[in-house]
Amino acid sequence: MSTDHAIHVENLYKRFRIPLDRSSTLKHRVTHPRAASRFRILEALRDVSFDVPEGQFIGIIGHNGSGKSTLLKVLAHIYQPDGGRVSIKGNISPFLELGVGFNPELTARENVFLSGAILGLGRAELRRRFDDVIGFAELEQFVDHKLKNFSTGMEVRLAFALAIQAHAEILMMDEVLAVGDAAFQQKCFDTFKRYKREGRTIVFVTHDLGTVNRYCDRAILLDQGRLVADGAPTEITATYRGSIGVSAGDSRKVGEQIERWGTREVLIGGVRLLGETGVEDLHPLTGSHVRVEIAYEIKNMAIADFLCVLWIVRNDGTLVSEESLPVTQYGNAGLASQSGAGVIRYDLARLPLRKGGYRVNVELRERRGQSAYDHIDRAVLFRVVDTQPGQGLISPGGTWSVVPRDSAVAGFSDIAVRSGTGSGDAGT
Amino acid sequence: MSAATAEAIPPSGIEPASATGSLRHYWHLTLELAISQFKLRYTQSILGYVWSLLKPAMYFGITYVIFVDLFHVNDGTPHYGIQILLGIVVWTFFSECTATAMGAVAGSAGLIRKAYFPRSILVVAASFTSLFTFVINLSLVIVIGAAIGQISLGVQSLAAIPLLIELYVLALGIAFFLASLHVQFHDVGHLWEVFTNLLFYGSGVMFSLTYVLQRAHFAAVVTTSSIPAHALPAKFTWVVDIVAANPIMQVIEDLRHALVTPVAPWTFSVVTGHLAAVGQVHPLNASWDALAPYALVMVIFGAGALTYRARSRYFAQNL
Repeated sequence: MSTDHAIHVENLYKRFRIPLDRSSTLKHRVTHPRAASRFRILEALRDVSFDVPEGQFIGIIGHNGSGKSTLLKVLAHIYQPDGGRVSIKGNISPFLELGVGFNPELTARENVFLSGAILGLGRAELRRRFDDVIGFAELEQFVDHKLKNFSTGMEVRLAFALAIQAHAEILMMDEVLAVGDAAFQQKCFDTFKRYKREGRTIVFVTHDLGTVNRYCDRAILLDQGRLVADGAPTEITATYRGSIGVSAGDSRKVGEQIERWGTREVLIGGVRLLGETGVEDLHPLTGSHVRVEIAYEIKNMAIADFLCVLWIVRNDGTLVSEESLPVTQYGNAGLASQSGAGVIRYDLARLPLRKGGYRVNVELRERRGQSAYDHIDRAVLFRVVDTQPGQGLISPGGTWSVVPRDSAVAGFSDIAVRSGTGSGDAGT
Repeated sequence: MSAATAEAIPPSGIEPASATGSLRHYWHLTLELAISQFKLRYTQSILGYVWSLLKPAMYFGITYVIFVDLFHVNDGTPHYGIQILLGIVVWTFFSECTATAMGAVAGSAGLIRKAYFPRSILVVAASFTSLFTFVINLSLVIVIGAAIGQISLGVQSLAAIPLLIELYVLALGIAFFLASLHVQFHDVGHLWEVFTNLLFYGSGVMFSLTYVLQRAHFAAVVTTSSIPAHALPAKFTWVVDIVAANPIMQVIEDLRHALVTPVAPWTFSVVTGHLAAVGQVHPLNASWDALAPYALVMVIFGAGALTYRARSRYFAQNL
């Protein structure tokens, strides 16, 4: 065993006794003396062993109920292990989520001091950093307002601004990104990067496989309390996807509506967005290579060709692009065989979108005509992460340079003067 | 990690050294929690903090009218009014501290499930909240009492310090015990409510131990010239034993001696029979009886703290 393991977990077991009738009164205990035996044992963690070296960013993935959060809570001392051993070297951030300890009846200022105390920050230190926290959260005008009058966004910003003040060498995070808008998620990602640079150890529980692929050095997969896979994030997320049988079309987030119509003579089998690593990624970076894949299947064999239309729409409804590709059974290279099925790829070498939420709508329609075979609105919902400064709808990817005056084109100054006067006459 | 340190790890559990933070940090956290709870208690009320002063004053008014004016409860020692006020302030602290600290764990479920810190902080912080109020109220009683000349401070007053510590340790011990049970059995809350009601009458808030003994004595010695109409029947003398063993009774009694008037005797001397010098016989003679309140405080605190320690490891999953 090397000495630089921040976390060492060996044969860890955790069981929960789930009472079959959820009565917790003394009367029940007295009147049902044998009731104590009426519970079900839930093995939340079974024989889990792994080590995390210092400075590693590790993602824990798995289905709901696979033991991810339980594992995190055992690591954070919140749950007591029932077997095995856990040893932690270094300070652990005492928070698993944002806004722990916030009280709606207290003001932002009072909450910062209370929650900051839980984080382990001293009073003097909090006073020193108070303006930074409030500034980061953009809440200067609401310092003495009660938290209950804050919007969710304001509260999350305050919580995040405070949480990043922690000194902990080991950070534990449970679905931190489940909350907040694009701007907030962007801040989260930026902070992750800073933590990575600082060499802090991060344990991260999430459902967002794209984030795991992008930020984690390593991932572990839990299934029914067992550690079933451990390795490079791309491999582990692929295994996980395989285990839950995610078809490409399932990449939408739960609860978000899709609309679908068409004659279904040609069927969209699935739509997915792939990131740079070739793995599904719903948080692509601006400027990175992305690919949309559309699986199709021709049901009516009389159809020899069709048109594939792909729209990218920003969340506020702005149409960013509409592009189409005629697909012919025989004409397009690399296209499907006699089976009448295939995958259409749409590659963007350099994603020009700025940060924000976008959706992909896809339609397969008659080559010459308006009848839709299959149309899916919101086939993919994705959020672009933008690390570069700048404003605007797109990032055209221009390059800047500064050169000596000599090498500038002759007549350049005339143009400058002309535009400077603003008269617009071409008299000179 | 070397093999040597690996052996030091308990076979099942978490390395103690890995606990986050330091004592100083936990002290700071306790104070922050106590201060915010104190603020929260009086939000949404017009009078705010004034209520913590008004409530004991009101109780005092009621108790005084009923027990002193109506039932003539008086043991003959001076400044009986301020003695009752002192009893009320002590009692208010005890009942409030145990009741709020009991719910502190269940009331912080979110915090316990999502963050790590020593769980005892929750109970201690809740007890501090009541302690703030108590210290202010007690100071007010002393200042007002001194102003109207009903407080006599002297060397005996120094005894107030260990007495207040004793009271706090008792309240904290009970709070630990109740809080650890309350997490799973909310019945404890209802039971304790009834029990505090009973304890109120057994803690000498509105009468002194001497007063109780006077009743018991007169019940035993029938030949006395002045038989009060409401003497304690002989079959109830056991009540005296219990009352005399009650630490709250002892604390209130001794605080009266220490702060209000040296004429009110120390509980210890009352119980060990020094009153016999006055020519009175009473049922308590053994010195052991006199030690009972102190022993009880230690036993209660020990049991409470140990119970809490054992059960707090599972709060997060039982809540």
